[in-house]
Amino acid sequence: MSLRSQLLKGILEGCILSIIKQQPTYGYELSMKLQEFGLTDISEGSIYPILLRLQKEELIAGEMRESESGPKRKYYSLTEEGQAALLDFKQQWASIKAPVDRMIDREEG
Amino acid sequence: MTTVQELIQLNNTKRSQLTRENLKYYEEMLLYIRFASGRSEQQTEELLLELLEHVLQAQQEGRTAAQVFGDEPKAYCEELIGEIPGETRKNQLLFSARITLLFLAVSSFFSGIAGAGMYYLFHIGSGQTNFHIGSALIVVSMDVLLLYLFIMTVLRWVKASTFKEAKPKKGLEVLQFAGISTLSVGLFVAVLIITPDLGPAASIPTLYLAGIGIVLYIISLLFKRREISR
Repeated sequence: MSLRSQLLKGILEGCILSIIKQQPTYGYELSMKLQEFGLTDISEGSIYPILLRLQKEELIAGEMRESESGPKRKYYSLTEEGQAALLDFKQQWASIKAPVDRMIDREEG
Repeated sequence: MTTVQELIQLNNTKRSQLTRENLKYYEEMLLYIRFASGRSEQQTEELLLELLEHVLQAQQEGRTAAQVFGDEPKAYCEELIGEIPGETRKNQLLFSARITLLFLAVSSFFSGIAGAGMYYLFHIGSGQTNFHIGSALIVVSMDVLLLYLFIMTVLRWVKASTFKEAKPKKGLEVLQFAGISTLSVGLFVAVLIITPDLGPAASIPTLYLAGIGIVLYIISLLFKRREISR
């Protein structure tokens, strides 16, 4: 896997954890939310391998549930390990985001 | 907890709502993922239903399965399969044991019924089955081995034939399958003929074989109940 896609994957994982933390979500809804936030470059299907991996690492748990209006769906919620991983991601993200922003700002300004 | 059976049932019903183009794309994925060996059945079926739900919703909004999952379904499926947790050793063993028992149950039951029927209805044969215990054991284990090879060959063949741009003609596929099956049956019979007489001779009424078949079938049902979905 290229560095670029590895980087993107790590960030996408963090985003998914964050969305799931806000409220238990199912696959389709999750991919729509990512798009709403503007991550339109990410193909819809790419969340499923990540969801599987996050389940395997027990950061999220999936449960088949009847939805209020629709069919039986698999809803994901954050586990305790998932909460910790999200916190970890936020710190790492902050430590990258600020320096990168500063660099880009200086170049533009 | 939704069982594997329920998930498959649900999948079968919902799949009919797909458009022709989406159905073709989705079913290839389904085949490829379902036939990946050694993966947790429960997780596999949950994933398949999830992907189906996604395509159905995308379809309502005018997007196709190819737009959702990309133009390289095979690579995408491999990626998914790589992330599905493996089936537990215990379940894998129970499953193989169950298939073996089912195979032996069915062959035993039908040879019993056929043999006894020939004797009682048409007075063909003696109504007794004579065999040498050593030879019988060899034949049974060789046949189980052949069954395993047969299943592996068919699975591999199905997997190899998914995601082909140019589909081979239906007739050719049928011919290939008939070829594999005929070869297998031939091998089963060959084992029976080649195996020399070994061990003490024994004789039982042919009808007993049907009874043995039923007993083996009941045991296989018990095995099924022991398989835990995960």
